Amino acid sequence: MVTKETIASYIQKIPPAPKALRDTIMFLSIGELTKAAKVAEGDLALKAYLKNIVNKPIYGFRNQVSEISQIFGILGVSGSKQTVYNYMLTLLSPKKWILFKLNVTSFHSLQDNLSIKWQIILNHLGIQDDDIQNAITLLPASIIVSEALFNEHIEDVKLLRSIKALDYNTILMRLCGVDLFDLCEQVAQKWEMPQNVSTIIQASSGVKPSNDELVNKLGKWMHLLLFYELSQPQTVEAGLNDFIDFQVDYVADIYEEFSNLISMDNLK
Amino acid sequence: MRAMVKESIAIFTPQGFLDGNCASSFLTIDDIEATSALKVDMVLVSLKKVIFFNRNGLDAFVKMFAKVRAKNRVTVGFCDYDKKKYDTIMKFYQDGVTFSLFKTQEIARLFTSTFKNESKTLLLYSEDKSQRAAMAIELHDNGHNPIISPNYNDFLEKSINEKAYDFIINDTYLGQMGQKIATRVTGNAIIYTISSFLDAEFGNTFSISYHTNSLNVGFRLFIFDAYKVVAMNIHALNFFSKLASSAAEYNATICFAGLTFEKTPIAFKETLEDSGIIFFNQLDDILHDKELLQELGGSSPASGKNKRVINKTTVTELPRFIDATVLTIEMMTNSKAIKKAVQIHDIEIMNKADKIASSIGFYGDMDGMIILVFPLGIAKQACELLIGEQTDDLELVLDSLSELVNIIGGKVKTLLADENISVNITLPRTYNDIGSLLEMTTDRKGVQVDLEFNNDKFLFFLTR
Repeated sequence: MVTKETIASYIQKIPPAPKALRDTIMFLSIGELTKAAKVAEGDLALKAYLKNIVNKPIYGFRNQVSEISQIFGILGVSGSKQTVYNYMLTLLSPKKWILFKLNVTSFHSLQDNLSIKWQIILNHLGIQDDDIQNAITLLPASIIVSEALFNEHIEDVKLLRSIKALDYNTILMRLCGVDLFDLCEQVAQKWEMPQNVSTIIQASSGVKPSNDELVNKLGKWMHLLLFYELSQPQTVEAGLNDFIDFQVDYVADIYEEFSNLISMDNLK
Repeated sequence: MRAMVKESIAIFTPQGFLDGNCASSFLTIDDIEATSALKVDMVLVSLKKVIFFNRNGLDAFVKMFAKVRAKNRVTVGFCDYDKKKYDTIMKFYQDGVTFSLFKTQEIARLFTSTFKNESKTLLLYSEDKSQRAAMAIELHDNGHNPIISPNYNDFLEKSINEKAYDFIINDTYLGQMGQKIATRVTGNAIIYTISSFLDAEFGNTFSISYHTNSLNVGFRLFIFDAYKVVAMNIHALNFFSKLASSAAEYNATICFAGLTFEKTPIAFKETLEDSGIIFFNQLDDILHDKELLQELGGSSPASGKNKRVINKTTVTELPRFIDATVLTIEMMTNSKAIKKAVQIHDIEIMNKADKIASSIGFYGDMDGMIILVFPLGIAKQACELLIGEQTDDLELVLDSLSELVNIIGGKVKTLLADENISVNITLPRTYNDIGSLLEMTTDRKGVQVDLEFNNDKFLFFLTR
């Protein structure tokens, strides 16, 4: 079963962000889109990922966009940074999903939906902060971590869950004293993501509210957004609905506002 | 999504948003089939973790309710909601609520006969007079003491003193209740609650496989609580006669409690007595008489005549049984097991104090029984993951131990299936002292494996 040692070896195995990626993020952070694009051109996998993302119907371009500088221009500084973070996470994601019925496309789709809706939420809340925008990218990391840690013992985990309705987070917490969000924080640290990204992610677990009012508010919106996405047919079918424990009371006070905002967005 | 089963109640717990878009993803055809195959008294959908639902979202579950109810005659419905959700559901289904609504899972449990028969004092209110009466009758039947509020003001007044009641029941609605034969276990006796007219249909509703499994796992006393039975016909009489003959093969006893013969021919009683069935005026006549219980076989799981020797097939598959056990305990305790000794003999337990045991039977292509004897410390440690905290509550540990043994049984089933050996597992049993286990295993030879976890001795015994 998953032990502290398993977790340690998992964290150990996570590759540091490649130099090209770190440089891309560094240039994006100081708003140097052209320089960032130049560095990103050198990483063929990143280039292919960015091309794939921006040519999705959701962006509505008639002609294919293939130049990285064009792509960064379209996404803007913050959007570009978020997309690069999303790409970093895909480096962690398994080639073949076993525990959750996901694949590359459905995982990207989950990442995209979270990113786009998070942007809408931040606009609604009047928050313009690159790091806060990027925080959402780490939420799917908890799904990757869960998949990676549990799939070697998949039968045990399934059996345990069939006897006792424990979510993955609780199983991990009871076994090792750390939860999936703690692990995401460790991943974020390894990739030198800003500290407030980790803080917001922790608050979004719904069980570790922050004393900082803004962080707590963002944690609530993120928790509810996560469950909005985990209630979509594709994610329910993937087995993600009971992935973590939904804290209804934690988000009760923002539900109406969330509901209005999302239904307005759906009508567009 | 699959339902979680606890104390004969299957509960689905969807989370987040429940609308027409996603509802069909929550319940696939396989999920509905799996739910129909469950041997439970109630199938419920908890709305505790649902922040939004609409009628289309609920409809997927309501359709499942109809199918499961038609097949199994169990109680179906929603639970764990607040006033707002209750009112919304009633509004959605104002043309007819065919399912039940229970404010909490605990309240739902009060309406099952399998609920451990602890009499609870309940304050009960419903706007609907017939609902009030229906609920009061059901609750009373289950041994509780319902106090009915005739109007809302009275209810508000009484509910101020909430400590006076074990539960306050409002915003609850009884749809079509289950007509299934309720089964519960008291000590080592199995009690079936039967009601109304017993006819040819009874043979279809009575679960023979459950009964046979219970015999296999060592239960020897079966009581039919029949005080709600109006009459019995010749088909039911034949059924019970056959049941008594098969019970005799296991040296088991079948009793009837509370059956009256106003509308049933008294000659039936003689026929049933000739088959070995014993009659009592009421259930408590048996349950409160320890000597009688012992005599009837309900105080200890006597091994009966059906002793069989362990065979080659069982021994060949032994490594799989041990693997399943060791892997599960290792998984639950995060500690390594060391195998000490393997021997074929009667079960041999050194230092009987501070030990508890559990057993689970399996049957199908091969049959037998796994017995596990735990030092209390290991049992507590192994169950900690299931309970979520350390506990000294023996009942809670025993309860979790039976879940643990269920996991082991499930694992054995999977490992044997890899070898194309198909088996089913019985209900797990627990023993809070080694004495009662030894009574059950007297003269049963088996394979005993001594294992060590963190220097604590743990015993695995495989027998038939």
